[in-house]
Amino acid sequence: MRKGVAGLVATTVAVLSSAAYAASNIAPLPPPYIGAYQPVGVDEIGAWREADEDERMLVNSPIVIRDEALNAYVRQVLCNTVGNDRCKAARIYIMRVPVFNASMSPNGTMRVNSGLLLRMRNEAELATILGHEFGHFERRHTLMKWKATRSATDLLSWAQVFAALGNSYQSHTNFNDLELSVYGRIYRFGRDQEREADALGLGYLNASALRPQAASAVWQNLMNEQEASASAKGVKKPNFTKIAFFASHPPEGERAAAMMTLADPAGENRENGAARYAAALAPLLPSFLDDQIKLNDFGASDYILSALAINGWTARLLLARGDLYRARGNPRDLVQAAEFYGKAVEVDATMPEAQRGLGLSLIKTGRRTEGQAALQRYLELKPNAADAAMIKMLAPAAGGQ
Amino acid sequence: MNKIMWTRSAAITAIAMLTAPTALANGYRERHVQVEVAKSTMRVTPVRDWNSLSIRPGKKAETWTLDGEQLNDVTFYAGIAPGEPLIRESSKKHTPLPKFTSETLLVEIPELLEGTYRTEKGIGAFSVTGSNPDHFLGHDGIRFTYDYVDRDNLPRKGEARAAVIKGQLYMATFDAPRLHYFDATLDDFRILTDSAVL
Repeated sequence: MRKGVAGLVATTVAVLSSAAYAASNIAPLPPPYIGAYQPVGVDEIGAWREADEDERMLVNSPIVIRDEALNAYVRQVLCNTVGNDRCKAARIYIMRVPVFNASMSPNGTMRVNSGLLLRMRNEAELATILGHEFGHFERRHTLMKWKATRSATDLLSWAQVFAALGNSYQSHTNFNDLELSVYGRIYRFGRDQEREADALGLGYLNASALRPQAASAVWQNLMNEQEASASAKGVKKPNFTKIAFFASHPPEGERAAAMMTLADPAGENRENGAARYAAALAPLLPSFLDDQIKLNDFGASDYILSALAINGWTARLLLARGDLYRARGNPRDLVQAAEFYGKAVEVDATMPEAQRGLGLSLIKTGRRTEGQAALQRYLELKPNAADAAMIKMLAPAAGGQ
Repeated sequence: MNKIMWTRSAAITAIAMLTAPTALANGYRERHVQVEVAKSTMRVTPVRDWNSLSIRPGKKAETWTLDGEQLNDVTFYAGIAPGEPLIRESSKKHTPLPKFTSETLLVEIPELLEGTYRTEKGIGAFSVTGSNPDHFLGHDGIRFTYDYVDRDNLPRKGEARAAVIKGQLYMATFDAPRLHYFDATLDDFRILTDSAVL
């Protein structure tokens, strides 16, 4: 009975959505929420059990960021985007992983990486990602992908048996062709699900109070970052329009364009919540920045810093930039690092790390006396620093040590 | 064409199967026997038996362990020259590691190790918890401690000693899970590195 009703609802939604798509390319408003459901069938029950087990481990994971305010904020953005009824189905875990990613398990566990939060510039961009992940969950993509992969690999196993029975060169070639086409289908299936989730995510955003055009910027910024990273490394720029055979996601170029089409033009003048986002992220920004700088990806880190500094370079951003240049450590980098630290000190003279960086980079560029003075200020500001004894050796206080 | 390919891959597999056991043989480091480490002139004299892993993290690095590298991992780095990373880069072009330079100060060695770990392991949680002047290989050096959470989600602790001698970096690190293993083997690491000579 329940299955019948759910089926009917699903069909109606499908018809409505396709009608909306036909009328325009704007992402349709989200379908009515069917409500919390329990897993049905052995496959789904199994997938939920696995997800529950993963979540039990996740709850105790040392890399989960437990900052109450930040968690409450991200949750509020999700609720505002997908609505309070849907929002109850998700449990959000913010992970200290400096990589752009987020995911959602079939049981409603949403993981958001700190690297993703560092790259978002406003609430609307964050809402794009959260809505997209929720879209996967709502359409039960994990289960469908798992089923599709299983039946495809079942097919391959049988084919392998027959190829072995045939045992001619032709049968091996046929098997190889089949294998390629089956794997091609699995990855294409993944990409189609991503497109569906993108459309659903944009549907939520169109219905929210935020500016849906921000969604396109997420992919645009990611492309710019990857270009900056490639150019600093001196490697070939990535091709954003080409689909690699094994790609699980559509190319970024396609996504940026698709997002723009899906966004409701009527939402163009809505706010994007940049100030609220910056305020919510501020307390954790120093540690997120530090994690990024130490990944040793010069181009990407410099791009992210410049993007964050769009309204002016703060002392914290200048400090991070100094760290970035000092870490790469070419002679010209050291001169620039000293300059960035120097500016950071001008903005905020009470930041011990800026004094430390300034001192070290001045000493390394041959300006020993000035460097020692900065290191002494570092020790005054942070007498119990973990490296105080080492720094004292570089900058003996007056009267010697 | 296909037949040649098949024969060739079968031959490669056979060679791989025959050579793998010898290539993967780990070494036994007997106590009270002085031994060279990390293919350098750095020598140590262990007071207890150790295993030396044949898979080395880099050309100028070597790992010793008692119960497996995930439970106690002593890695020696010897003669790292300016411009070189601490360990082998998985992709020189795409994921370059931070390099030791002729300007690198002793106080920056912890940052070099931190950057190497973070880049190689893609981890977010790493902090240097202390660093102090120390003698290593008869030279002025640094001894520092750190905490991190590895990709397996297990919190680990580490202690390292380093010195820059004739412009080259020499270092020994000890990494083990915070729970039990770190404290259980820390003294062994200290005694082992005290015996190091060039």
